[in-house]
Amino acid sequence: MSVDPHANVELPAALAAKEVEITTFPEELKAECDAIRGRYETPRAALMPILWAFQRRFGYVSQEMERVIAAELEIPVIWVRETVTFYTMYNQRPVGSHHVQVCGNLSCSLCGAKETLAMISEELGIGVGETTADGRFTLSVVQCLAACEEAPVMQVNDRYYGRLDRARVREIFGGMG
Amino acid sequence: MPKLTIDGREVEVAPGTTLIEAARRLAIHIPHYCYHRGLSIAGNCRMCLVEVEGVPKMMIACHTQAADGMVVHTDNDKCREYRAAILEFILVNHPLDCPVCDQAGECKLQNYYMEHGTAGSRVDEDKVKKRAKAKQIGPNIMLDSERCILCSRCVRFTDEITHTHELGITERADHSEITLAPGAWLDNRYAGCVVDLCPVGALTDRDFRFKCRVWYLTAVDSICTGCARGCNITIHVNRDRPHKAGGTRVMRYKPRENPAVNQWWMCDAGRYSYKQIDHERVDSAAVDGRPVAVEQALDASAAALKRAAAAVAVLCATTATNEELFLARALFAGALGGHAAYLAPPQGEQDDLLLLADQSPNTRGAQEILGTEVRDPVGWVKAHGVKAVVVVGEADLTGLKAEVDHLTVIATHPGKAAAQAHVLLPGSVHAEVEGTFTNHAGRVQRLRVAVPPIRGAVETWRLLLELAGRLGHPFDFAFEDDIFAALASQLAPFAGLSHDNLGRRGALLGSGAPQPTEVV
Repeated sequence: MSVDPHANVELPAALAAKEVEITTFPEELKAECDAIRGRYETPRAALMPILWAFQRRFGYVSQEMERVIAAELEIPVIWVRETVTFYTMYNQRPVGSHHVQVCGNLSCSLCGAKETLAMISEELGIGVGETTADGRFTLSVVQCLAACEEAPVMQVNDRYYGRLDRARVREIFGGMG
Repeated sequence: MPKLTIDGREVEVAPGTTLIEAARRLAIHIPHYCYHRGLSIAGNCRMCLVEVEGVPKMMIACHTQAADGMVVHTDNDKCREYRAAILEFILVNHPLDCPVCDQAGECKLQNYYMEHGTAGSRVDEDKVKKRAKAKQIGPNIMLDSERCILCSRCVRFTDEITHTHELGITERADHSEITLAPGAWLDNRYAGCVVDLCPVGALTDRDFRFKCRVWYLTAVDSICTGCARGCNITIHVNRDRPHKAGGTRVMRYKPRENPAVNQWWMCDAGRYSYKQIDHERVDSAAVDGRPVAVEQALDASAAALKRAAAAVAVLCATTATNEELFLARALFAGALGGHAAYLAPPQGEQDDLLLLADQSPNTRGAQEILGTEVRDPVGWVKAHGVKAVVVVGEADLTGLKAEVDHLTVIATHPGKAAAQAHVLLPGSVHAEVEGTFTNHAGRVQRLRVAVPPIRGAVETWRLLLELAGRLGHPFDFAFEDDIFAALASQLAPFAGLSHDNLGRRGALLGSGAPQPTEVV
């Protein structure tokens, strides 16, 4: 499967507008992050839920945000980088309003994930890591979504869709705003 | 104390001892990549899998603690089968570019593959390409991610030893690779150690890369001269093919384990100080700036010293070996009835890992053997009415020449001392003699001959012996160990020590005899 997580595709204008500049820890996340931090023995342990809080607020985690979080937790910035790049659930750049995440792991691969991905790519007219010009769809390949019984599976934003074929994919995308 | 059986042999170990360490006690080597005694346990390479009777799955020896009655097999058919499988897996994305890899010859992938690998790979998928191929990540370090097996030793080093956190592993699965922290550069004071730690060719030293294949190198035990810590090192010498390296004989230093001194590490300042051994050496004698044969220079020096009678002195830099210091003392303070002292060592930066402010390897030896420290050579010479001086090593002697009738300098490099000399004698550096240094903590440690004195240079101790003979006080020393034997018999702190019994890890002053050395 051709997956290049490092594809440096230029952001369409619709996504570029979603980029935010963060240079200091955002006030509106202070209380939530303090509460998260209070739940763990070490600052490093609070990293994942805090990253998640940032992503919920801004839609992605930029490298500037990584720096701000590292400074706040007083941990090395490389620890934040390692975590953000390990999990496909953290977006490192803004994504379209429908983030299509196709599972590329074992069970799905056995059930034709490679062909499914090619088909979805064709339907949307974009490659992996790309976003449609209108900013509606972003296509990603992700690791196991823990829904092997429905393989091949994709996740669009927070919803799962299984047993994918072209008809079903057209129906799903067609029903989206 | 748990007593267990490894490969049919019983061993009793302290509670908490891991199987890999228990096996080491029996001199059984369990293959491993990620495990390193100086770092935390990562348990990720799986190369050290062993069979423990009664346990259904194979256990990693680096992280399994010895228990009473445990029966462990490290080299039966099952272990060998697992090892071959692990190696096959580790090599799935390895480029096998050994012919152009600088690690070849000292690579644990190569070595273990020859011993434990299978012939050929069953993987016909394309190898995953990584981003960093021959990428510079610090002033002296190159990263080749394709060769990396992600053992994380380098990451743990920067996290746990230097606490500088320059490195991490980003991405996941077969996209994982060693990455610099955003905006970071691997330029901490000990960065070179990651090359020593890397078991494969992923991290190589820019200073050494492609200069010499490692199988042409000879490794000789020695001591770093960068500071008073006295880090244990091996000097790697290109004995047979210096013409392939522009005449350079010494190719690199590598730290050598000594738990009492430097553990497994050394600083970069020390590591790259090997260059001075072959660089811009004083390699011929001179009298008043005119080049002469060493014998003529010795004659001239001896004649001047004779004229000064007992108004003579020797001033030694703290780079001189204990043997050289003792000869200087025996000749000048003893036989000639003059003075012997050492020059105050230069001071530099220090840190809380290894580097000490005292930049000399043998200040403690000079304190023990010569006793008197001289900060102001001119004032000291005046105060003692000295007419002729021999200086051993480098020092700022501004104004000294005007105060005395004669100044002989035994120098290794052109410098402030050599520039002042009436008689200049080309001496030896630490890598060119047998001898000892005494580190800041009083540990007497051996130097071995890595290379002969360069071109026209002569061992400094031989020059001192030649002077003694010409002055009518010949010493009966054939080699350096004879000098050390006399030193040990005359100076109480050295009593009981000898070149032979210092071993590879040295012994403390006053210890009488060396402590038994730990099993390596």
